[in-house]
Amino acid sequence: MSSSSPSGSGSDLTERRGIPAAKFIQDVETYLSQSGLDPNSALAFHQERLQQYKVVEMKLLAQQRDLQAKIPDIEKCLEVVATLEARKGTGEALLADFEVSEGIYSRACIEDTDSVCLWLGANVMLEYSCEEASALLKNNLENAKASLEVLVADLQFLRDQVTVTQVTIARVYNWDVHQRRVKQVTPTAIAAADS
Amino acid sequence: MQQQGSKSGSEMEVTWEDQQNINTFSRLNNRFHDLDDEIKSAKEKCENLDDAGNELILADEEMVRFQIGEVFAHVPRDDVETKIEEMKEATCKSLEKLEEEKKSIVTQMAALKKVLYAKFKDSINLEED
Repeated sequence: MSSSSPSGSGSDLTERRGIPAAKFIQDVETYLSQSGLDPNSALAFHQERLQQYKVVEMKLLAQQRDLQAKIPDIEKCLEVVATLEARKGTGEALLADFEVSEGIYSRACIEDTDSVCLWLGANVMLEYSCEEASALLKNNLENAKASLEVLVADLQFLRDQVTVTQVTIARVYNWDVHQRRVKQVTPTAIAAADS
Repeated sequence: MQQQGSKSGSEMEVTWEDQQNINTFSRLNNRFHDLDDEIKSAKEKCENLDDAGNELILADEEMVRFQIGEVFAHVPRDDVETKIEEMKEATCKSLEKLEEEKKSIVTQMAALKKVLYAKFKDSINLEED
């Protein structure tokens, strides 16, 4: 999903999920005269915007890390449920070594079973049949993956806005430096012409 | 990637197209770094599976404790061998895809660099710091 329009001077989106878009400036001088800002105020404004973007980016990155940890967890659970389901007809018990505490393992004998218990969080554990558990876990996995996709798109949009803002800051700064140089040259030229 | 003012403080026109190129380059650069990390972990996984396969050949137990989820299930040796082969193939395939994506991104970035340096010369810095 792109925030740019092929012909316009600004983005198509003015904001995305609460993140304001950074307006692209065609011409620095026009922008400064239209907004009535002097270069320093304009720079300060854009610097602040940049800080705000950084804060949002931190938040989104933290959410992304959480999701990226959650997805392998769900996949592991699905694997276990699938293994149990595969053994269902055979009548064999599954021997498994599991961690009781750090460094301490114990052996479990898992009989042929139709149901599993799923930890739903918030101190709640529910018993499900293997098919239901599988369906629930698959659903959770789909949701997590979809959320991650949206998050990644948000981050890309945000990075684009950060880049636009950084370029704007550089351009306003350069324009200001250029203006000062021009002003410096002109009085000297006039003084030289007078003398 | 930084934008630096050039020494001449020039009135360099930045068009929307330029901005889009810069944005695209930034996105590609980020994706490139993410890919590097993913490729590293995929390579590690491949190596671990290789080691596991070798250990399996050396071991002579009939029942192997194979990790499924958080527990180690007692699985007959042949099943484990098959499982490891499958996992190795899947990891290798995904590693290949990642390497290919990385190659394409490097090419795209090189092309964009050419365009941007042509327009902005010294006023833009596209190298890694």
